[in-house]
Amino acid sequence: MLSEQSLNPRIGAALVVGGGIGGMQAALDLAAGGIKVYLVDSRPAIGGVMAQLDKTFPTNDCAMCTMAPRLVEIGRHRDIEILTLSDVQSIRGQPGNFHVTVKKRPRFVNETKCTGCGTCVANCPVRNDVQPLDVPRVELEPAYRDKVAEIVRRHRERHGPLMPILQEVNTAFNYFPASVLSYIAQETGYPFSHVYRIATFYNAFSVVPRGKFVINVCMGTTCYVRGSQRLMERFSDTLKIKPEETSPDLLFTLKAVRCIGCCGLAPAAMVGDTVYGKLTVKEVSGIANKYRGANGHGQTHAG
Amino acid sequence: MAARRIELMLCTGTGCVAGGAFRIKQALEEEIARHGLPDEVSLVATGCNGFCGQGPLLVALPEKIFYGWLKTEDIPFLVQEHFLKGRPVQKLMFTPPEKKEPIPLLGDIPFFNKQMLLVLRNKGLIDPEKIEDYLARDGYAALEKVLTSMSPEDVIEEITKSGLRGRGGAGFPTGVKWKVCRNELKTPKYVICNCDEGDPGAYMDRSVFESDPHAVIEGQTIAGYAIGAAHGYIYVRSEYPLAIKRMQIALDQAQEYGLLGENILGTGFSFDLEIREGSGAFVCGEETSLIHSIEGKSPEPRQRPPFPAQVGIWGCPTVINNVETLANVPIIVTRGAEWYSQIGTATSKGTKIFSLVGKINNTGLIEVPMGITLREIVYEIGGGIPGNKQFKAVQTGGPSGGCIPNSLIDLPIDYESLKEVGSMMGSGGMIVMDEDTCMVDVSKFFIQFTNDESCGKCTVCRDGSDALLEVLTRITEGQGMSGDMEFLEELGLAIKDGSMCGLGQTLPNPVLSTLKYFRDEYEAHITEKRCPAKVCKNLIAYWIDPQLCQACLICHRECPAESIYGEKQMVHVIDQNKCTKCGTCLDVCPPRFSAVKKLSGEPVPAVERGIKVERKKKPARPEQEKVQV
Repeated sequence: MLSEQSLNPRIGAALVVGGGIGGMQAALDLAAGGIKVYLVDSRPAIGGVMAQLDKTFPTNDCAMCTMAPRLVEIGRHRDIEILTLSDVQSIRGQPGNFHVTVKKRPRFVNETKCTGCGTCVANCPVRNDVQPLDVPRVELEPAYRDKVAEIVRRHRERHGPLMPILQEVNTAFNYFPASVLSYIAQETGYPFSHVYRIATFYNAFSVVPRGKFVINVCMGTTCYVRGSQRLMERFSDTLKIKPEETSPDLLFTLKAVRCIGCCGLAPAAMVGDTVYGKLTVKEVSGIANKYRGANGHGQTHAG
Repeated sequence: MAARRIELMLCTGTGCVAGGAFRIKQALEEEIARHGLPDEVSLVATGCNGFCGQGPLLVALPEKIFYGWLKTEDIPFLVQEHFLKGRPVQKLMFTPPEKKEPIPLLGDIPFFNKQMLLVLRNKGLIDPEKIEDYLARDGYAALEKVLTSMSPEDVIEEITKSGLRGRGGAGFPTGVKWKVCRNELKTPKYVICNCDEGDPGAYMDRSVFESDPHAVIEGQTIAGYAIGAAHGYIYVRSEYPLAIKRMQIALDQAQEYGLLGENILGTGFSFDLEIREGSGAFVCGEETSLIHSIEGKSPEPRQRPPFPAQVGIWGCPTVINNVETLANVPIIVTRGAEWYSQIGTATSKGTKIFSLVGKINNTGLIEVPMGITLREIVYEIGGGIPGNKQFKAVQTGGPSGGCIPNSLIDLPIDYESLKEVGSMMGSGGMIVMDEDTCMVDVSKFFIQFTNDESCGKCTVCRDGSDALLEVLTRITEGQGMSGDMEFLEELGLAIKDGSMCGLGQTLPNPVLSTLKYFRDEYEAHITEKRCPAKVCKNLIAYWIDPQLCQACLICHRECPAESIYGEKQMVHVIDQNKCTKCGTCLDVCPPRFSAVKKLSGEPVPAVERGIKVERKKKPARPEQEKVQV
């Protein structure tokens, strides 16, 4: 019995959706097999993400060295037709015989004539007209207003104001409320995305509320070799929170810190500015209770 | 200040403060006052003494009698006996392990007498919060010499001749760096002091800040004069609150004395310094990251060249030097390049501070001439390994360094020799490991660290460290496969080649060096599913030896997982299915029984419940030794 497919003659053309490195290679392989290829990409140019990479994992090959020969070959290949700024609208049919509708988005340059000289870009009168969105000014909640405004005012005129501001705000509130970050961005003129990036890059900063007492268990090499991993586990059991978590009553945050430079006292932990050295697993609950009970008058501790 | 009969140098470095040095200080003051001795005995709160393992400690001048492990209870006795009656207290002196006789004098203690103090020349002798103390020890004499009798070119020439190399790790010649910066036409120029000491296990920079901050200020001011800068930054990590506080005090005092600021010493040269804090990112120790961090940009490194000496902070030529490098500068200027270059080896001049920590008897900071052998450091200064354990390796250079095995213990230490054996100088952490340290676990630890701290800019570093960590974790969990070691090597070399900054280029070092020297340990993990050091949790089991157990019920009570069966008179048994391998039972089992054992790579012998304990004769109680006074 003849299947439906074998009744329909195959058509000697293929459509490749997406002009990234994979799509490009597929198009070349198909074309090498004598098939006419349509290469569709929704962006203005083929190349995809790889064009933005410096090197690729795991071979460390230079991305452009991989891509460039393929780009040139595709551009030259008579059997490959590139459709940029185009979207696939519908696909009908079955393997061997598809009907695809491609919508080409409008463009204002005649591609067949353009030589890519760039004169139009240089002469376009509206190219630099940035039209900012209407962003409402950020107003801070009363709880933060005075303190944050004062910190920002003090550092705003400094060379490189962002770090000192963030550091002081972080010390004052133990974390960055979202509105405060927006406010800092607005007042310093940095884009919010940048301020957020800095606020999330450093270990000392947090964008979620942290406990009143941050317990930093040193995980430096010396402390690690001397068993700080077990201290951490015991803190975790005692406080019922995992490392990097905060207890629900906002009293404790447990953190692993990379060397507090008290290697002579290993294994060590630091709560606020107070260092506890030569700790044993047995002392852990005592420390937790001390802060839990009292309001935590930091006191030094003999090992 | 009138001369006193006895001067007490009480260490108040971070280590000793954590041990209660300030309470000791208060107790001493009270006792001295009570005995009416304030005119005869003076008390100085100094910076880090270096022998941190003995803290809190004090040194009594003029004889330099060393007292360690002080407790507040000891103070009344000490004051009465020694300072009042003149009889030094033996029981508080330093006694080397396995010996009986204490060593009273600081100069006789091997930990101290093998050292050579250049950078730390003032440690434990001055109050870091008093500029007068620093001045009394020829402080700022080098600055005066430079400003009044040397041209900037002379200074650079002198530093170049001395052979001083960057103490931050890579060992770039300091004089060359300064010269490049001096020759740049663009102004203004800047000097940055890098105290973002992120290497775990290294704390010499913190110690220098805490014990002798003015040496750094002086060195940095000289650097500023040499390259033609009028402004400098001191970048300190925020984990060092005491160092920041003392440095700020020192800056204010230097300003007050006209040694910093406008028109220094009336010579027309102006220079000022400002502290900037880090916020806990390891990558900020890399110079271009550090610059980005101060500028408030995202602290990722950038491609070099241009080097910071050409294009640095705010786009201006910038010299970035490590704390220790800058602290070397004044002494080179005062005593001359010739003298300095005689110390050390052919390529590495001067001294290096190491933090000797880990499984070693004498923990602390040591300053030794370049070219000293590891054996001298570990066995003579460090006093060997505690508990008669076997020395296994020394890890140098932090997460960028490697592990140096026992077989290379006679290696003379300098920049080149360390590099040759697959490690590096780094900032000077020296972590001693004994037979109880699992090398696979250690390299997993370092990769975890660098994986955490990778800024994510280069794919090889970001994803490569992930892949390394995955394989290492698998091996330590007993899921290792053949081919894993070859994979680690190949990937390690690829990461070295493909990363832009020092962090990525050196992060595979711990893995590669342990693979080179401790291949058998990897093999034991992968093929035999055994952890030779008995560290990796999935490969070990805790077991109570029925012959040794005396049914004291302690482990039964303390076990957090309630996995120990125990009754009076009955041998205790660990339920292997419930055991979480926390190790509590091993800790609490009284040493005279030592019934809890760790097993690895062998089946756990089954012990039935309800076996009666074999009572042993009680060992006679050792007679209490008479306390010698």
